[in-house]
Amino acid sequence: MKKFRFLVKYGLLKRIKRKAFLISNILVFILLTVIINIPAIISAFGSDDSVTSISIIVYNETSEATLASDLSDRLNVGLTTDFYIISEESHAFDVDGFWEDEDSDIALIFESTSLIDVYNKYPEYNQHLSSQIELLLIDYEIPGYQSPTIMPNYAPDYEDPEQSAMVGSLSSLLVLPLFILITMATQFVGVDIIEEKSTKAIETIIASVPAKTHFLSKITAAISFVAIQGGLIVLYGFIATLLFGSSTGTTSEFGDTANLLAYLGAYLPNWQWLLVISLVFMIVGTLFYLTFSAMFASMAVTQEDYQQFQTPIMMTLLSGFYIAIFSGMAGGELILKIATFIPIFTPIVAPVAFASGALSIGEALIALAVMILVLIGSLYVVSPVYRVAILNYDQTKFGKRIKGYFKKAFHKHNK
Amino acid sequence: MLEVKNAKMMYGELVAVDHLSFSLQPGAIFGLLGTNGAGKTTTFRMIMGLIEPTEGEVLLDGHPISYADVNEIGYMIEERSLLTKITVKELMLYFGQLKDMEPELILERLDYWLKRFDIVDYKNKKIKELSKGNQQKIQFIAALINNPRLLVLDEPFSGLDPINTELFVEVIRDFQKKGAMVVFSSHQLDHVEAFCEEVIVLEKGKAIIEGKLVDIKKEYKKHKIRIIGDIDIEQLKKIPGVYDIDQNLIETIVRIENEAVSKAVFDYIKTCHHIIKYDVEQASLSEIFIAKVGRRHEEV
Repeated sequence: MKKFRFLVKYGLLKRIKRKAFLISNILVFILLTVIINIPAIISAFGSDDSVTSISIIVYNETSEATLASDLSDRLNVGLTTDFYIISEESHAFDVDGFWEDEDSDIALIFESTSLIDVYNKYPEYNQHLSSQIELLLIDYEIPGYQSPTIMPNYAPDYEDPEQSAMVGSLSSLLVLPLFILITMATQFVGVDIIEEKSTKAIETIIASVPAKTHFLSKITAAISFVAIQGGLIVLYGFIATLLFGSSTGTTSEFGDTANLLAYLGAYLPNWQWLLVISLVFMIVGTLFYLTFSAMFASMAVTQEDYQQFQTPIMMTLLSGFYIAIFSGMAGGELILKIATFIPIFTPIVAPVAFASGALSIGEALIALAVMILVLIGSLYVVSPVYRVAILNYDQTKFGKRIKGYFKKAFHKHNK
Repeated sequence: MLEVKNAKMMYGELVAVDHLSFSLQPGAIFGLLGTNGAGKTTTFRMIMGLIEPTEGEVLLDGHPISYADVNEIGYMIEERSLLTKITVKELMLYFGQLKDMEPELILERLDYWLKRFDIVDYKNKKIKELSKGNQQKIQFIAALINNPRLLVLDEPFSGLDPINTELFVEVIRDFQKKGAMVVFSSHQLDHVEAFCEEVIVLEKGKAIIEGKLVDIKKEYKKHKIRIIGDIDIEQLKKIPGVYDIDQNLIETIVRIENEAVSKAVFDYIKTCHHIIKYDVEQASLSEIFIAKVGRRHEEV
């Protein structure tokens, strides 16, 4: 146990004490600060293609003759956008014609003072419209007045840009760090092992500690590093949020603090669960990938050899990355769900599937249980193979070597 | 006491070591010889507990050798076995702590050994910056740093110049005096002859020569006679029991079937003039090795 602890500490400090660790963390902090505050940065610079003028058609079926002109006065208070009432109609409203008409942006149909239909090509102004309509109707002091029902209607091809942005941002925010951390960890464990093996230092090391201890210590050091690095990334995220949130105090048109976390938080009421699930999947998934990375590294003899051996791991990780990113964006819930239950993709896909609603909490826990069982099974299978391969310098072809080591590992004469 | 009892190691169908047995008392130096691929490294790995014998066992003080014993063992492999990107000090701290040593003790002993091997200035140099000879010294120090009572050395003199070879020999003898057991292999048979009491010669995993060096030489009947003087080689060839004669600028070496033949040779020498040297020697280990293994020593 003492040697195991020493090896873990040695492996961990070896990474943390490097200049590369310091530099990469500074870069990650800057990058995170930028990503998290993209909305604030965009709003600070302004937007060239923002709408500055909105044309409205009012269908007034009420007895309030000045409704359209009164509304026009009210709408143009407090916003930089100009609202123009371009016409006041009394004939029946043609829905299809409105969506195709390029001259009008909003149609307000006052069926009565208590029921108003809103057809809006710019739904982000719905809240402003609703509040001003409501205030106007209050001013009229209509006897027996009840709060009006305002019905927003969307174009047939309308996609909520915030929802799309949220899914895209969420996929990137979840998948990218997971992918980077797992890739980083698998690289570290592989490079560490192959460095010791290619220099034959492994002979002296394995003469002092059992191969199993060496194997587990390498994995533990790498996962500890990932945990530390992951924790630092979360910390940087909070610092970046506090830094910009407090310094700019920027708010969007709808009152939210203009950073990505607050933005996402509004869409993710279950974010606490998501955070826990993502962390657990990250740890279990990284361990899973580390197990195989260590095995392949033990089978390699030279650095060049290891490059070939790690290809299957990198391809699998990349596949998981693309499934998570593109299925999330394209709304491929079924693909996400299926990939979640394939252990090689689970670590990266499961958090996104859960966040996007493709996976329930129960299904996420089942996927996690499956992943843990597969991990335990992998450790049992890989450990004896590692023991055989680590002191072997066979340089036969990839497939033949793997087959040979598995055969030797489970031969009755091997320890 | 180290005991290798009837150890057999198979890799698939290949018999790497075939029923090998020997034992080693504290303060003894044991030589393991053989051509490349004879099974020496496999034997060392079995002794180190890195591989488990297919049959037989390796015992240290009566119990099967295991990782519980490694803190008392020093191991040096034939090839370079060093992490080249770190400094000598960092490497020793790493290897030493793997033997459960405290960092202070490691550094204290490192200073002693660096001084003894005259490489004090290299303490903070990276391994890759050192010459091959100095890397060999560092590897040797790594095997000694835990003050082992069992020293397993695979080709310790490989690549060393005569001065450093002598330095290594002195250190090994010091460990012997302190009661350590030393098992080593070498292609330089003169070293084996110089300090091993017992040897085993392996050929394809089998022991073809084993026992005390004195007895091995005694059992090997063939002798050689070194002669300096005016002699007629044709006359020597006619003597029964003389099977080979080598002549160089300095001396003539006459190989005879057994010690008794030396009398007939001496009777002839007495008839010659200007004889400066007549010396009957036992065969060297190298000659016995070549004769038994049946190959040229240079191929070893």
